[in-house]
Amino acid sequence: MEFVYKALKKVIWFYAGIREKLSRGWITKNSSRIREWELMAYAYSKSPIGVIGGIIVFIVFILAVIGPIISWEPYWEYKIVINESYRYMPPCLTPSCSGNPLLGTDEWGRDVLAMSLYGMRISFVISIVVVLLGAPLGIVLGLLAGFKGGIVDEILMRVTDIFLAFPGLVLAIAFASVLPQRLRGVLEANSVLRSFFASLFGLREAEYGQIAALLSIWFAMVIVWWPGYARIVRGSALSVKEMPFIEAAKLSGLSTWSILFRHLLPNVISPILVMMTFDIATATLFAAALSFLGLGPQEPVPELGFMISKAGQFFPERSSHVVVYLGSLLLFIAIGWNLLGDALRDILDPRTRRAIEYRFEKEEKKRG
Amino acid sequence: MVSFLARRLITFIPTLIGVLLITYLIAYAIPADPVRAWVGEKLMNPQTLEQIRIKYKFNAPWYEQFVFLVQQLLTGQLEDPVRHRNVFTEITSRFGVTVEVAIVGFLFLIAIGIPLGLLAAVFKDTHVDFAVRIMALVGSSLPAFVLYYFLILLLFVYTKTTYLAGIPEPTIACRTTVSILPQRVPVLGHLASALGNVPMFAAMMCGEFSVVADTFKRLYLPGLALGLLNGGFIARIVRNSLLDALSAEFILYGKARGLRRLSVWKHALKNAMVPVVTVLGLNFGGLLSGAIIAETVFNIPGIGRYMYEAIMRLNFPVIIACTFLVAVIYITVNLVVDILYAVIDPRIRY
Repeated sequence: MEFVYKALKKVIWFYAGIREKLSRGWITKNSSRIREWELMAYAYSKSPIGVIGGIIVFIVFILAVIGPIISWEPYWEYKIVINESYRYMPPCLTPSCSGNPLLGTDEWGRDVLAMSLYGMRISFVISIVVVLLGAPLGIVLGLLAGFKGGIVDEILMRVTDIFLAFPGLVLAIAFASVLPQRLRGVLEANSVLRSFFASLFGLREAEYGQIAALLSIWFAMVIVWWPGYARIVRGSALSVKEMPFIEAAKLSGLSTWSILFRHLLPNVISPILVMMTFDIATATLFAAALSFLGLGPQEPVPELGFMISKAGQFFPERSSHVVVYLGSLLLFIAIGWNLLGDALRDILDPRTRRAIEYRFEKEEKKRG
Repeated sequence: MVSFLARRLITFIPTLIGVLLITYLIAYAIPADPVRAWVGEKLMNPQTLEQIRIKYKFNAPWYEQFVFLVQQLLTGQLEDPVRHRNVFTEITSRFGVTVEVAIVGFLFLIAIGIPLGLLAAVFKDTHVDFAVRIMALVGSSLPAFVLYYFLILLLFVYTKTTYLAGIPEPTIACRTTVSILPQRVPVLGHLASALGNVPMFAAMMCGEFSVVADTFKRLYLPGLALGLLNGGFIARIVRNSLLDALSAEFILYGKARGLRRLSVWKHALKNAMVPVVTVLGLNFGGLLSGAIIAETVFNIPGIGRYMYEAIMRLNFPVIIACTFLVAVIYITVNLVVDILYAVIDPRIRY
């Protein structure tokens, strides 16, 4: 997989070039860091499952970005209402459908393939944002608890315990049933927020009620997500903080926050990065499960889990194609992230580190 | 050990109070009027609404309501305002069903996960290992409800080997026998009667084994589904921890000393148990808290569905009681897993 390594190397040097332009001498100052990144890129390109996972994630990312733009059918037009000849047909698969959509239609006569493009944007945005908000919250609290110790640790860990003991799905369900009405009011009043979130999810502004439902799933999932990170980060922070370099940082009079983020965080981050990658897959499935239970957005939003639950009413006679296609789409997305996480775990594992370094140096020499 | 237990039990209290408080505050923040949701269209008139408001202290400030609910919860008087029955009677019968699902699911989990894990470790880096890896990957990436649909299609619609309505119950005579046990046998009777809340156990105690067989027939589909979803993951854990143990130095020493193969494996297996027991324990705890989606799709009247319905109808007393139960299960399972560590691994002492 030479091309992967070359492409990643180009990206690294492109980034380094930008930093060099911004502040002179960045490359010479950070040469060891660049070397480290190159090593990681090399290790990644040597792991076939990682490359496959990366390609899947890349495809999903591209489809999520351009999906709602290239989708050829508006999700808010119900064909069975508009078109008389459709009335008794959907959900149907191609030979019996008029217009021959590739993967059949759902119960409103909409093309499933076109709808799934909207759905992918929604699930991608939700899963990424949940992890990007939930993980930092957990990381900060975990670092603080581990580093400060004493009463701070005790209080933060008790709070974490409370949230861990809470049934996750129940908390999420409760939030998803409490928040939408309030968020709806906020979105109704604020047109900037409304258009921002509408374009983020690839929906129309008129659906602000559904956007509120999506946002409340966000909140609910972030609340469910952070305690796991806090627990793990605290554990590793406890062992790292006893090391001499932290002592030195303290003695040189650095502030707590700068010790936390510049010295403690880089030493505990690798298992967290792996966990975040796996969690994006879990979050995708969790969000789909919430909308499957009817707690997410409602009509006409084509959310993947919601569409599967509607297809379930006609299962298996008329809608097995919808369940199969959307189910495999969710499987595809989650497998991509899981494979990537597997590869990252191998790359960031210090035990396999020396072997990779050795191979890397040997190949560099061969190349000259 | 005793002081460890005491310390852990004391930290339970703030956690449980926190869980209750948060549940209550979420419920309190709901803008809708819960009383209207409870009563329904038919009985909706100002007097009834007012009566219920007074009964549940809705006109009092929030902390008084909270104290009232907790008091009723701890004294066991909490009433389900939708079904007009004691919450604990409802919860005991539904929890019994959830325990049955958890047991069947757990049996499948062990039956699928552990043999596959051992196979993958023995045939490391072969097709078997690869297949187990794929299974773990698909199991953790497949949306549960899609698998459930297809299992229903395969085992219910096409082959008709199971059914999806009701839960097999022991005969009334048997139920009575079990319920009066505490009066006949002093201490063990209470225990037996508590276990008898699980229909399967009650049937076993009376010797009605056809009911037990029926229960397995009814519940093997959700059990199989839960086992398939998590089995691959368990297999991976078994494989990795066994390989870790086999590559340890004491195994090399054992081999060098000329130990028989079987006893080398025995040592390795015992050392590989610790992570496996943790994951299995936490999994069982998760199953006991009610698999909401499985219970919804397979139409099982367990604790998960009860919770879900309660949330949908803003039924706070039930939500609070159920969350309390789930939190207690979670903490207890964690404690039990910690104690099991010490049992399996003599190096760990509390």
